[in-house]
Amino acid sequence: MEIRNRLAHLREKEEMALIAFIMAAVPDEDLCLDCIRALEQGGCDLLELGVPFTDPLADGEVIERFHHRGVKLGLNLKRGLDFAARVRAACQLPLILFSYYNPILQMGLDSFARDCREAGVNGVIVPDLPLDELGRLAGQGLELIPMLAPSSTLPRVQMAADLDPAFIYCVSVRGVTGVRSLPELEIKDYLQKVRAVTTAPLVLGFGISQPEQVRAFQGLADGVVIGSALAQIIEEYESRPALLPGMLEKRCQALKLLSYWEVRS
Amino acid sequence: MIYPDERGYFGRYGGRFVPETLIPALIETERAYRELAGDKKFQQELQFYLKDYAGRESPLYFASRLSASAGKARIFLKREDLNHTGSHKINNTLGQALLARKMGKKRLIAETGAGQHGVATATAAAVFGLECTVYMGSKDMERQRLNVFRMQMLGAEVRGVKKGSETLKDATNEAFRDFIRSFEYSHMVIGSVVGPHPYPMMVRDFQAVIGRELRRQFLEQEGGLPDRIIACVGGGSNAMGIFYPFLDDPVELLGVEAGGKGIEPGQHCATLSRGNDGVLHGAFSRLLQDEYGQVMDTHSISAGLDYPGVGPEHASLRERGRVEYVQVSDREALDAFMQLSQMEGIIPALESAHAVAYALKIAAALEKESSLVVNLSGRGDKDVEEVARLLGGDESGN
Ligand SMILES: Cc1ncc(COP(=O)(O)O)c(C=O)c1O
Repeated sequence: MEIRNRLAHLREKEEMALIAFIMAAVPDEDLCLDCIRALEQGGCDLLELGVPFTDPLADGEVIERFHHRGVKLGLNLKRGLDFAARVRAACQLPLILFSYYNPILQMGLDSFARDCREAGVNGVIVPDLPLDELGRLAGQGLELIPMLAPSSTLPRVQMAADLDPAFIYCVSVRGVTGVRSLPELEIKDYLQKVRAVTTAPLVLGFGISQPEQVRAFQGLADGVVIGSALAQIIEEYESRPALLPGMLEKRCQALKLLSYWEVRS
Repeated sequence: MIYPDERGYFGRYGGRFVPETLIPALIETERAYRELAGDKKFQQELQFYLKDYAGRESPLYFASRLSASAGKARIFLKREDLNHTGSHKINNTLGQALLARKMGKKRLIAETGAGQHGVATATAAAVFGLECTVYMGSKDMERQRLNVFRMQMLGAEVRGVKKGSETLKDATNEAFRDFIRSFEYSHMVIGSVVGPHPYPMMVRDFQAVIGRELRRQFLEQEGGLPDRIIACVGGGSNAMGIFYPFLDDPVELLGVEAGGKGIEPGQHCATLSRGNDGVLHGAFSRLLQDEYGQVMDTHSISAGLDYPGVGPEHASLRERGRVEYVQVSDREALDAFMQLSQMEGIIPALESAHAVAYALKIAAALEKESSLVVNLSGRGDKDVEEVARLLGGDESGN
């Protein structure tokens, strides 16, 4: 319920939710925890925690590099869940685990769900489980976050709506993750198309880095996910770990404050 | 039971495990394919290209000297090496390129290991006037240099992939990312019976021409069916193509995987023999992976077999016990490569040499007059440089 409650609360305040994506335990556990505390401090509302995988097909260059780095560090789903438990203890943010399907399959669906619950994970996103296959993880007490894309047809939108999800992850573009400029009008049409079918919170992700982008979708989306932009900051500042958390906090503040002020003014 | 079912499953295996973004493209492709599969004009057009352009049908050749040297069994070769571009891959790329054109797509995307599928896709793109981008691991670009030049001469853009294993697996990831970005004007021509539904079905159907021809040829030449059919298995398309029309017949079917340098993890790519259930590149199948589900690095002397996954229909045929899957080492494949070259004057692709090697291995123990067909999936021109290097013991690569 944490995810639903948090989003409902924000919707009441007419405030855009800011969801931060960060790869678990890269560059290392302690620095990653510092980053997560900074994100919370900066006003982010939910945390999406990535699990490194050898073949991250839905991810663009920047996040893909983090997957490969994580794999080289020996990270995997089990260690990702261990780390999630540390995150749970270090912050108050509702926690969404992002993992490709194969590691979950290897762990076993029941063990995965149990370990998620024990680690304090509230929801999961599995980018290579389309709507037809999402049911494989159902009935385990985990919030399953369905994804839609601009290419999604009305029956697919309906399928996502029928799941009564905590939110729908609306992929902004035809493409993989990565910072880019967004086709604003097209995305607005698409969000309206989804909105017409469901009252579930809609969270826009992929390609978002700037406050102006957030502002553009105010009122249409209930929140945004920011991932590659944070990953770029991590890459740029990880050699100066004392500066890194502060930079992340500032970026969150910029995104969050602006959306807040836009609504108030 | 007709496989796959409407959700793309062959028994437990198959399906569609890709980002939701790509689902509409797969649904569109499936719809277009099902429509064209039953369309007489499309089939005629495909027949025309297979015959007048690619040179089908491919001969069935009785290899008498090889047979005599190996033992009592009679070894036949299904000569897919004689197809235009030098392998069975052209059967599939002509079919898919025609499909892409009918869907109004302007561009083909392909992944390639040995470069044979890349060359076959670049060729189909040229003859149908489509753009073409081929993704290839940088390690493979080195060991299959000749094919890189061929693709470029055919007008394709070859994009090197210097990530992860730098082989077919990562080239495939990159091709999928391109497809996710560009499917409105691009079609991804997957080169084997792998990937999300409808690819395993579609590629099998396009390759089944091999088995249908073989059936007719063997009946004409020998008055019956062969006792055994042997094919190498990377993703499994040449094997599926030659096996498929024989699934309901009393014919022993043998798939040969690359045993590489040994049984240690990372030293082979014997997915069906040594892997377990898993999802890679959009299908639930067998997979070489560690206990945490990270996909394993593989090794084979043959770039076209150097892949940790395998087509879902093979996973199902293995489970049902209909096809037996075996392994052949780098060394045995190399010996077979030389033996076929010198006994029959046919230089096989290193991939196909795996099937030849297994035929030689069992031929000695087989009863007299028993017949054995090897799918000679490709010719070895592309491998000459690499084999010379290996035989010369020259590790510097010069
Ligand atoms: C000549 C040849 N045979 C076999 C293969 C392996 O693919 P498949 O198992 O799909 O036939 C390749 C792949 O590149 C090839 O070039």
